Amino acid sequence: MTSLIPMVRRIIAARVDDAALAEDLVQETLTRVLAAASRVETGMLEPYAIVTARNVIASLWREQDRHRRNQHRVVDLCPSDAPDADLLAREEQEAVSLALSRLSDRERRLLLAHEVTGQDTRSLAGELGSTAGAVAAQLNRSRARLRVEYLLALDRTEPPTERCRPVLLALSGGDRRRQREVDAGRHLLECDVCARLSEPLLARGQNRDGEVCIPIRSDGDIVAARQAARELASRLGFSRTDLTLIATAVSEVARNIVRFAGSGEVVVSLLERPRRGVHVVARDTGPGIADVEQAMVDGYSTYSGLGLGLPGARRLMDEFAVASEIGRGTTVTMTKWRDQR
Amino acid sequence: MTGGPKLVSILRQGAYLIASVHTALDDSQMVRFRDDLVEQIGRHRSRGVIIDVAALDVLDSFGARTLRTIGELARLRGAVTVIVGIQPDVAFAIVSLGMSTGSLVTALDLEEGLALLDHGVGAGRSTLPDRRRPRR
Amino acid sequence: MTEDHGASTRTSLSERADHFRPTGDEDQLLPQLVAHLREHRTKLRQEWAGRIQDSGLLHAMTPQEMADETTSVYDNYVGVLETGSVEALQRYARDLSERIIPRGVETHEVVGIVLLLRDVLARSLFEKYQRDFGLLNRVLDAYEPAANRIANTVAVSFVEERERIIRQQQDSIRELSTPVLPVRERLLILPIIGILDGERARQLTEQLLTGIRTHRAKVVVIDITGVPDIDESVADHLVRTVDASRLMGASVIITGLSPLIAQTLVTIGVDLSKMDTIGDLQGGLEVAERLLGYTVTRDVGMGGP
Repeated sequence: MTSLIPMVRRIIAARVDDAALAEDLVQETLTRVLAAASRVETGMLEPYAIVTARNVIASLWREQDRHRRNQHRVVDLCPSDAPDADLLAREEQEAVSLALSRLSDRERRLLLAHEVTGQDTRSLAGELGSTAGAVAAQLNRSRARLRVEYLLALDRTEPPTERCRPVLLALSGGDRRRQREVDAGRHLLECDVCARLSEPLLARGQNRDGEVCIPIRSDGDIVAARQAARELASRLGFSRTDLTLIATAVSEVARNIVRFAGSGEVVVSLLERPRRGVHVVARDTGPGIADVEQAMVDGYSTYSGLGLGLPGARRLMDEFAVASEIGRGTTVTMTKWRDQR
Repeated sequence: MTGGPKLVSILRQGAYLIASVHTALDDSQMVRFRDDLVEQIGRHRSRGVIIDVAALDVLDSFGARTLRTIGELARLRGAVTVIVGIQPDVAFAIVSLGMSTGSLVTALDLEEGLALLDHGVGAGRSTLPDRRRPRR
Repeated sequence: MTEDHGASTRTSLSERADHFRPTGDEDQLLPQLVAHLREHRTKLRQEWAGRIQDSGLLHAMTPQEMADETTSVYDNYVGVLETGSVEALQRYARDLSERIIPRGVETHEVVGIVLLLRDVLARSLFEKYQRDFGLLNRVLDAYEPAANRIANTVAVSFVEERERIIRQQQDSIRELSTPVLPVRERLLILPIIGILDGERARQLTEQLLTGIRTHRAKVVVIDITGVPDIDESVADHLVRTVDASRLMGASVIITGLSPLIAQTLVTIGVDLSKMDTIGDLQGGLEVAERLLGYTVTRDVGMGGP
């Protein structure tokens, strides 16, 4: 649930200027999503939140408009169902049916039988001459596809490149091996459309054990990244001091992204092998660093250049490496070990 | 919920300003805080400023540098700044970063910070003022 | 794991072993000798116990404990020979170590008794099969690798278990070994004695910094007279701790800095003139009390710059 907050906040901030008002709307959206959470399928919570956020904003505009029109009246009228409520509901409905139409007949039949009619996997397997496990796997793939098609339909976009769909599918399915194969991380940094569309898909993945991915675009994300890192690392039983060192290092590398690349992501994961630890990858597709070595020794006192950020972070962690390519971006990886030796 | 809970509060107490940071600030909020505080120091002609950072669980290079900048700007306006409430782990992280903290005047908590201001800190802290402090 | 097998069925098995002729089925050898060892359990175990006593091993145990242990060790040993599974072997070794380490048993004793058992059993096999030299050879070929593997695993497991216990004890000792002493209001003393390694330095930092907050300390005296030498990373850690203490509003005085450690500090680029160092603890305490505004009886000048 908390993983939804940054996303909702971004959606609303993009449409509402007044910060206080935007925060109110964020809260309202979250309340509604929370209330509906039990009714929404796990994977669909994020798309649901997006739609809700848009609804909340729409109703605000409506409210403001009505208020303007009715200012002269003494008594507030009962809010009538505004015409665009229907519109939004229809929009959403259309997106779902469009997404469904893009599945194969077999996929669609299976999904509808399971999700709508409520037929269980075993009886489906019996009908199809397959096994329950295979049906469940097929259902998972279909759900992943449906999510992608739904988001595309809702957004009324076609993916700009051939790589987009495979990447979105890999993310939607939560298939790590496949994500590596299609180099999903890099594609998201390069493709605006996918970066936008994948937000709810990535947010889905945040519930995965032992790993969080925080998109970094603004100052606020720096705070979110370090808080997420601290929370995850605390599961390994690090001392308070170590947790603060980790959070501070994450803060430094995340700021580096905001300052010098504009946007990127921070991925924090827990390691079990070779020994327990926290692993942080900070990635961007910014201009890159011309002289990494210089960046690592320079600017202890100034912040005009790369400043304290990278060398500071290195002093806080046990392992630290920077890979950078001019014009392609920078990747910082760092580790703090829980177990000594 | 308009405005939300306050991120920081700045209170005036005689010739001093007492600023408390209530929650984690992002960089732009930190800059706004710096500007607000420095503006108020000038407006109230404050002689001393206490910044309570006990609520912060991270003070990274930007945060620590901003505190240092506040101290320097305040000094130009004739005020001494004391940072109080730095948590043990946060203190260790700041020095581990390699920050030069020499110009920061710090005290354990608000009470100590006020005592420090009352005794007129100017130079270093490791050597306390020569005159003996009255003990209770 | 310990179960007493009926002797009658075993007898028939070992009877068959007597008349065993090579059939190429060497897999049958271990079950046969296991049956033999079970059959003569009482005699062999007593012989083994006697050998242990003769060698002066396990003297930390009472005769009753010893009888219990040897019985259980014997049965488990034979059980491992029988199943031949690595898990069973490791479980056996771990179990053995956990049970006997708290009784003050040393590594050489454990290895000693297992080797003795191996020899006692080997001798018994030798007596049994000596009439058929070819068969004896094959029996020993099957027995020795298995027996050696048991001895090896037990030794390794014992050492590991002991190290684990030692580490555990070290952890608790470490907490005790960096005491933060509130000697008087707002003054802490940290006498550090012994080797200061990375782990202990980390603990020292945590205890000192939280100690400053709990005791609202204004001055801390860290006495390192008892520290022989420190490496560069620990020196760096120490300096960071001193700086962090200052950020919490406490002054730090270091006493008992040996020339060796001073040299290390200089090597890593510490400006010693910026640290308050006093020759000995007594002098450090006097300076500390002056900083706190207490009256000092003896007027000692502040050492160092």
